[in-house]
Amino acid sequence: MATVKDLLQGKFTQVWYVTPTSTMRDALKLMAEQKIGAVLVVEAGKIVGIFSERDLARQALEENIDMNTPIGEVMIRAVYYVTPEQSVESCMALMTVKRFRHLPVIESGKLVGVISIGDVVKQLILEKETTIQSLEEYIWVHMI
Amino acid sequence: MATVKNLLNTKGNDVWTVPITATVKETLKLLAEKNIGAVLVLEDKKIVGIFSERDYARHAAQEESMLLDVLVSGLMTRSIYYVGPQQTVDECMALMTSKHIRHLPVLDAEQKLVGLISIGDVVRQLLEEKETTIQGLENYILGREYSG
Repeated sequence: MATVKDLLQGKFTQVWYVTPTSTMRDALKLMAEQKIGAVLVVEAGKIVGIFSERDLARQALEENIDMNTPIGEVMIRAVYYVTPEQSVESCMALMTVKRFRHLPVIESGKLVGVISIGDVVKQLILEKETTIQSLEEYIWVHMI
Repeated sequence: MATVKNLLNTKGNDVWTVPITATVKETLKLLAEKNIGAVLVLEDKKIVGIFSERDYARHAAQEESMLLDVLVSGLMTRSIYYVGPQQTVDECMALMTSKHIRHLPVLDAEQKLVGLISIGDVVRQLLEEKETTIQGLENYILGREYSG
């Protein structure tokens, strides 16, 4: 049974974050640069929120939100997390029920990584031994 | 082995679309209303693009603007991978992982749009399968009758 620790093994362990006074522009640029879908918000060494592509898409419709808006105003404050010993299955359940795509990983009170729904699916494929490389050989790969 | 058809049976066949004349603001409103992450963009009933929260985030970062009044056609992704109803969930996972995408429109043999699946739908399906397997094993061990 694969654990969160297994998911982190295949990943770059750098955790990207911004502060509550960082602007939306700062957060979006960091996300684009690092090719990630969410960024943690940290203040005085503590996680105080999370900001994702979904939060941007929803907040953009609110009044007075622009690229200069501090992330502290648009972030989600209730941050769910997982621990390295948890099963990948429990992450799947949490992501499905809460409709999250990202979960920070905390070990002994320390942030050790962030896992995404993409990492979970990648792990599931590895378990099924489906080779991604041979995908290109499949005639059924359709594109419009 | 679960297929795309099984996924659609669970989630339904609704596919939300916007016309090529839609603005980013109108499209984001639809995403929020339906609580979804992507929509297809149509021109004369033909699929010409897909617009997702990621497309918005990447363009907004680049332009350093909210882009609300811009036409969605300026931000959408024009090359769209899709799947057929008979394909397996495994194939969907491989395609989503390989191409780094979270949504796949479903087209039938006549190239008709019959649904759209997301990475969330895939994970939900796999979760349900795991529970069924676990339940099935428990029943077997305890000698309960299999009525599937």
